Amino acid sequence: MYEGVSFLPLTWPDMLYMAPELFLAAVFLLLVVADLLLPQKVSRLSIGWMTVAGLLGAAGFVVYRLIDLQGSGREVGQVIELLGASYVVDQFANLLKLVFLAGTALVALMALGSVKQDKDITDRAELFYLLLPAAIGAMIMASSGNLVTLYIGLELLSITSYVLVALRRRSSKSAEAAFKYVVIGGISSAFILFGMSYLYGLTGSVDLGDFRTALPEVMTSYPALMYAGFFFLIAGFAIKIAAAPFHAWAPDVYQGAPTPVSAFLAVVSKGAALAAVLRILYNSAFFISGGGGGGVKPVGNDVYLALLVLAAAAMLAGTTAALRQRQMKRLLALSGVANAGYLLVPIGLNFTTVHSSNVSEFIFYLIVYLLMTIGAFAVLTVISQAAGHEELKGFSGLYYRAPWTSAAMVVFILSLAGLPVSGGFFAKLFILMGAASAKAYWLVAIMVISSVISYYFYFAIVRQMFMRSSSEEESEIRVSAPTGIVIWLCAGATVALGLMPGLLMDWIQAIFTIRGDLLIGLG
Amino acid sequence: MEFYTQSAWLIPIFPLAAFLLLIALGRSYRTTAMLLGSAGSLAAFVLSLLVLFERLGPDAVDYSIRSFKWIVIGDYTLRLGFEVTNLTSLMLVVITGVSLAVNVYSAGYMKNDERLTVFYGYVALFTFSMIGLVLADNILLLYIFWELVGVCSFLLIGFWYARPSARAAAKKAFIVTRIGDAGLLLAILLLFWYMPGHALDFTSIYNVFHEGQSGVMTSGITTFIALLILLGAIGKSGQFPLHVWLPDAMEGPTPISALIHAATMVAAGVFLLARTFDIVSASEAAMQTTAYIGGFTAIFAATIALAQNDIKRILAYSTVSQLGYMVMAIGLGSVSGGIFHLFTHAFFKALLFLGAGSIIHAVHTQDIREMGGLGAKMKTTAWTFAIGALALSGIPPFSGFWSKDAILTTALDENPVLFVVGLAAAFCTALYMSRLFFLVFAGKPRSGHAAVKESAAVMTIPMIILAALSVVAGFIETPWNGWLSGWLSGSEAVETVHGGSSIAAMVASIGVGALGIYLGWLFFVKKSIGSGFMAAKLPSLLRAVERGYYIDEWYRVIIVKPLRGLGSTLAVFDEYVIGGTVRMTGALTTAAGRFAARLSNGKVQTYGLAALIGCIVLIAVIVGRRFWS
Repeated sequence: MYEGVSFLPLTWPDMLYMAPELFLAAVFLLLVVADLLLPQKVSRLSIGWMTVAGLLGAAGFVVYRLIDLQGSGREVGQVIELLGASYVVDQFANLLKLVFLAGTALVALMALGSVKQDKDITDRAELFYLLLPAAIGAMIMASSGNLVTLYIGLELLSITSYVLVALRRRSSKSAEAAFKYVVIGGISSAFILFGMSYLYGLTGSVDLGDFRTALPEVMTSYPALMYAGFFFLIAGFAIKIAAAPFHAWAPDVYQGAPTPVSAFLAVVSKGAALAAVLRILYNSAFFISGGGGGGVKPVGNDVYLALLVLAAAAMLAGTTAALRQRQMKRLLALSGVANAGYLLVPIGLNFTTVHSSNVSEFIFYLIVYLLMTIGAFAVLTVISQAAGHEELKGFSGLYYRAPWTSAAMVVFILSLAGLPVSGGFFAKLFILMGAASAKAYWLVAIMVISSVISYYFYFAIVRQMFMRSSSEEESEIRVSAPTGIVIWLCAGATVALGLMPGLLMDWIQAIFTIRGDLLIGLG
Repeated sequence: MEFYTQSAWLIPIFPLAAFLLLIALGRSYRTTAMLLGSAGSLAAFVLSLLVLFERLGPDAVDYSIRSFKWIVIGDYTLRLGFEVTNLTSLMLVVITGVSLAVNVYSAGYMKNDERLTVFYGYVALFTFSMIGLVLADNILLLYIFWELVGVCSFLLIGFWYARPSARAAAKKAFIVTRIGDAGLLLAILLLFWYMPGHALDFTSIYNVFHEGQSGVMTSGITTFIALLILLGAIGKSGQFPLHVWLPDAMEGPTPISALIHAATMVAAGVFLLARTFDIVSASEAAMQTTAYIGGFTAIFAATIALAQNDIKRILAYSTVSQLGYMVMAIGLGSVSGGIFHLFTHAFFKALLFLGAGSIIHAVHTQDIREMGGLGAKMKTTAWTFAIGALALSGIPPFSGFWSKDAILTTALDENPVLFVVGLAAAFCTALYMSRLFFLVFAGKPRSGHAAVKESAAVMTIPMIILAALSVVAGFIETPWNGWLSGWLSGSEAVETVHGGSSIAAMVASIGVGALGIYLGWLFFVKKSIGSGFMAAKLPSLLRAVERGYYIDEWYRVIIVKPLRGLGSTLAVFDEYVIGGTVRMTGALTTAAGRFAARLSNGKVQTYGLAALIGCIVLIAVIVGRRFWS
């Protein structure tokens, strides 16, 4: 298509590197066929368990690749690049794939535990196996080395998500949410493609590796076009991330979607879009910013500033809008908006000599965010089944009806609010320390203020659980086994990360290097 | 050698173990719970005493251990460790001692509460956190325990959650103190960035700041950090203007008011200032601010206490006022004065609260106007309460006199204005305590409490022990024997005896104390001046004082309403612009026609438009900034 570049075919050894994605795809096809062939009376929950098994299998392949890369004693820059560096298997991609697969597996387990209660879902099997192509999309986004591959991953994830949101076929809210999500997703894609086209026009390439050299050359000649390219790209991804002011869709869509799908959107979709932004900017804007060395480079700096402004807006808008929210899924959606703000901070702060742990801060926060958000959604499925609605007051007196579940919920809330002893405390602390060492004090102030405001609504939930005795003597709430597993895995890991944050942080820092695992085409 | 000091890490383990066991046991083991909780704090108390005795030896050096690597970020390592200094060991004894007394007392006070085991669990968790706060060898670890004690306080204030007022108070306490906590966190972040090697341990902080912090950071930053630390202390120790949560915190069970909201947690702010004194004292402006905030709080809260009628609220405002003395002492440069007052105050204020609990237990009201004549029926309570009241009023030879005198002497030397303020506060203190004492114990019963009888021994014995301590605790530092300040500062050289100013301060403080008590006696016993005197002359002033100068109302107007307004505005946006569609969907009865109609009513377009406008604003603001200049 473009001159001088011959398309490299995929070879058998290459296929081996893509084993996690290909394996998931195979499992997906198998499950689709199985769903068609299996007689009606066979419970579709077995498909759910096979989905979980498939996700864990793919995670196994990723772990193997991760250890293999680590053990090979490779030189810096020796990354596995497939198809002309359009597909990259480095430790950044591996770490994120593990996060996405773990998140999707937890979501699938949550769906196993709660799908029976939702009478609006007509085709239960779809709720499970459609998670697989969505996960593949997220994995492609984490691994992509050029814009086209990235876009394919994005659309695979998005289109599958539209269907997932619409799965409560008997509910008009679900259909409405899906429709809104399609339209907003389309707008987001349009923004992203528009931005990408400008970047392609400026550099003559869609490879992230080429941006590094091409962008600095054309920066002084075409600053306006470059601004347009980057800002539309960021705005498009900001919609996917649900950062303010691009978050308006999130409460509607989360509310309409089946709860496990809401959790998936909050964690995996958001995480994948953030990962894509991180990967793109480190390979492009970084080299035309102050951090890239030499000369005045305003464009890149402005791009980073825009991210920080988005982060600040998301934190403030998310927390203040949540103050009066009484619908739990909308509340969690808005909490997700605020958390998106936090996650944008390490990306937007840029990498400097005094502050180089951005990516590990980002991954640490993403993992903690995954645990506490999925945990909170899982508790919500239990509550909404018992109460018959998803309002805040459903939590009232929970402590007396399900003491252990409410204890787990306290852990999630402590973590969401960023209090010790929980993973959330350290996740926030690392990012705060990063921002302090980058001397972004205004941002530190906003982070602290927004988390102080957030105590107000987080502790409203705790208050409901402990401090309001339920009017009539109510029965014990039963938690199904898969949901229980999700809740306790998440709560246990959240507490463990609150006690021993060093273990995970050290591990991330031991296997990840910026030069070797984030930049494209150095080899 | 130094065996007990090295095993100081065991001290928090005892209450932690008690807490974990109490959780595991469940609700039915009531007696076991009381024994476990008390045993945990007893063990901690004994070990703390042993540590203290070891530290009293001639050549005790500060002991700290930091062997455990906790977090590594880049080239920064945070180690987990504990440190035992003279200050720490004194605090340990105060915390574990009061905790033990409260544990034993609660066995009587709380014995009919159905959630007794939960109560003991919370108390054990609090004791653990508070010990951890004191032992922490770096400021980040201190912060973690600082938050934990805040959570325990929240849980215990709201312990009787069935009362709406308890729920409101718990939330208020949590959110108001959080403002201070945010300040402390910012201070830690600034320290993290500016300290050489990102060191956050107290030894490094001491080394940097004690030697005049030669060029490590500018004086502006130092002042800023010091003021942020002060903000943390203001929140935790109930200083003006964040004092509003402490009186409301009295909704918690009375033993909790004694332990957390009088003796230990609220003193954590003073402890923080003492622990980071090298930072605070590096900035003249911060020292001045500290001193004036403390002095103002002392007089401000003391006047409010004059007009309260709830026995616990009087004591709460009194706590705020006495904490003001401690903060003022530190601001005036006298750490030993502040810590000395913290030490004596812990005993006599815990005693007063336990006495108040004993009274409430007997008469089932907290309004002192409904009490009266209790002295004859509750002899032990009356006598111990009298000792506590005299100690608080600063009458020799009780402990409060010596510590208050130490602060006033410093004030007289350093800042005459604050001396006068402190003296006025001391007068008010004596007056409101004599009012409280005479109204409750003297005269005739004002409402029929026929069956009033003395509380059980399990409640009175802790009171007697605390009373004994309130008598003798003051003698560790007297104007002619500066043992405590020498020991705290780690130098053998005893502080110079103040001479003239000391005697002047002493005479003045005895004078105002005696005058306050005499006036109280005139008002409320002899009734030669009618008690309606103030109400008749200055009704609006009295009402203002009674309502705590309307500080809560001011907050409601200045902060809460605008924030609510912002929330409502956003909620309205959410409701009508965004949520409009959601409500229009109604129930699950959607005809296809209505569905189609709704899709075209423009709401989704609104989102798209919002996204586009957001993008344009972002470009306009950030890029436009470049082309503007």
